[in-house]
Amino acid sequence: MDSLQLTFVSILFVVAFGSVLIGIPVAFALSGAALIVSVAAFAVGLFDVSYLAAIPSRIFGTAMFNEVLTAVPLFILMGVVMERSRVAEDLLVNMAKLSKRLPAGLGISVTLVGALLAASTGIVGATVVAMGLLSLPTMLKQGYRPSFAAGSICAAGTLGQIIPPSIVLVFLGDQLSGAYMEAQREIGNFSPDPVSVGDLFAGALIPGIGLAFLYMLYQFVIGILRPQDCPALPSEPDDDLPVLSLLGSLFPPVFLIVAVLGSILMGIATPTEAAGVGALGAFLLAGRRLASGTEDDDFDVPVIWGRLVSLAIAAALLLPVLRSSADLRLTLDVITIGNGIAIGLAMIATLLLTVGTGAAIYILARCGHLPNVVTGTMRVSTLAFAILIGATIFSLIFRSLGGDEVVTHVMEKIPGGATGALLAVSLLVFVLGFFLDFIEIVFIIMPIVAPVILQSDIDPIWFGILIAMNLQTSFLTPPFGFALFYLRGVAPPEVRTIDIYRGVIPFIGIQVFALAMVFLFPALATWLPSVLLGR
Amino acid sequence: MLKFIETIEAFNRLLGRSAAWCAIGMMLCQVFSVVARYVFSYGIISVQEAVVYGHAFLFLLGAGFLLQTNEHVRVDIFYNMLSPRTRRWIDVVALSCFVLPVALVILWVGLPYAARSWATLEGSRQAGGIPGIFILKSAIVVFAVTVALQAVATLLRLLCRLPDAHWRSGTEARTH
Repeated sequence: MDSLQLTFVSILFVVAFGSVLIGIPVAFALSGAALIVSVAAFAVGLFDVSYLAAIPSRIFGTAMFNEVLTAVPLFILMGVVMERSRVAEDLLVNMAKLSKRLPAGLGISVTLVGALLAASTGIVGATVVAMGLLSLPTMLKQGYRPSFAAGSICAAGTLGQIIPPSIVLVFLGDQLSGAYMEAQREIGNFSPDPVSVGDLFAGALIPGIGLAFLYMLYQFVIGILRPQDCPALPSEPDDDLPVLSLLGSLFPPVFLIVAVLGSILMGIATPTEAAGVGALGAFLLAGRRLASGTEDDDFDVPVIWGRLVSLAIAAALLLPVLRSSADLRLTLDVITIGNGIAIGLAMIATLLLTVGTGAAIYILARCGHLPNVVTGTMRVSTLAFAILIGATIFSLIFRSLGGDEVVTHVMEKIPGGATGALLAVSLLVFVLGFFLDFIEIVFIIMPIVAPVILQSDIDPIWFGILIAMNLQTSFLTPPFGFALFYLRGVAPPEVRTIDIYRGVIPFIGIQVFALAMVFLFPALATWLPSVLLGR
Repeated sequence: MLKFIETIEAFNRLLGRSAAWCAIGMMLCQVFSVVARYVFSYGIISVQEAVVYGHAFLFLLGAGFLLQTNEHVRVDIFYNMLSPRTRRWIDVVALSCFVLPVALVILWVGLPYAARSWATLEGSRQAGGIPGIFILKSAIVVFAVTVALQAVATLLRLLCRLPDAHWRSGTEARTH
């Protein structure tokens, strides 16, 4: 490595981050800065234009023909459908009714719903905005202290990234698996255990649920100690629905999310398969929800369509039962009577599922939600993948300029060996979290530092979880935390910015505590993957 | 000139909105594939690949439309503190020095890449896959062309101070 290389790599960093910070769209700031610097490097003979020829194949391999990442648009679709069809809203409202006798019941419901929903959206902004619009007015009307309400919503919004199946974990898993392979090859291990997205999901489960639990514990304690900060819902006659019927309405969406997650964690389905089924499930629930009609909807759907959707849900539940009780292979030579009946039933169930899916799509179209649902999915997917494309071009040029050698060299200079490097990277990620969203950091920083960090005996899953929790903390930290900006954007003026800052401080304390626990006891992140998926 | 801009924008809008329906297609193909594989133990590779095609078309063909509506993610902490005039200049620099060159470079290297694929009518690497890798690779070219055209259209709007719903003095960056 010579000093000219070092100069150009430094210039690349400065130009890239400078252009990101002044507000040039991130996808193009990264790739454009890299191109500009590469032209300068070309002028002094440090860069060969032929490197650029690799761009299309990188785009093709990293972003397009990547089966793992096809899970991302499907998870986004699932989240958008749940949000637009008000399945999410019902979930929050019912949860609040159910927990109204608990101290800080509404706050606790917000955390629970954030944890559940975030699973399917996983973009901080989207969750915070949705929760802010949904629950902040209710909380304030009910007499919640603004800082407590704002803190609860911000914290719940960031919770979603760490709780699987969040899409940022899909991206992080994809990047880590490549980086880990590369790092292990570098130190001469040619057959490392691959890291999968499922492994990362399993690893994130205990820390994620643990965090949600700690949040709720804090809210519960506040509810007891300072009931004036979070008064209970005043009783209204129509609220006194039997607990059973409330539980009944909570069950379907929760079941869907648990089924999607469970099938991945048990190693039954790939994340992509689970995401596809999850999206269909969301469509069916939305169809059922919209067909049942409510007073605030001014369209009506003939009852028959709703019935078809319900039938499809039943059929979908029947299929796995049939599968486990009989041999349904169509290619069998001899089909016994029992199997024949089972195959016939499975075919009927499949037919019903097909018809019901059509009905659900029709209902959403009839209610005018379908165009919004698909363009919403396209928007979120496109902005994420545009950044991936930009970051791919950036890292291609970064490496061509010898940037990876520079990073290795710098990390070797950090005292404290692997732990020192890990702490330095954590600090870097924490600071970057003030400016960049999760996806950007995963795409820019991971390909640069992870191959170096993972050459030591640091567990890739543990590393990934630490990064994820670290970022989550960063998003909550004033004055730059992302979640705070998003909430500020949708909060009514009577919630002062300082209220939001004050409200998140206890949650930051919880985050730091949880982060320290995972740092000191790596088993919190690595035990579940080793048990479930045999890592 | 307005007509030129509007033609580009109408095209990108149509393309983006059409590409959005790939999301439904992806879901249906994925569920079909799951039912076929897990219930009837009958894997169909081309359907599984169709999910990948839908995925790629979804974001490659939507990128131009997203540029038109000014929805590509940007860091607006400092941007929002600037005057509308400065923001407009940042947008002009962003489009002319960043978006346009990036799109043109992708086009420049993407054309021969797609052409090589067309020359052999490159099919799937898996037996029974969709024989259309060359179409998928051409989508990179479409991505570059639509983003470049949209960058030109938006630049013209900004420079000639034409009416514009999304980039007006850069005021409404990142509002969802």
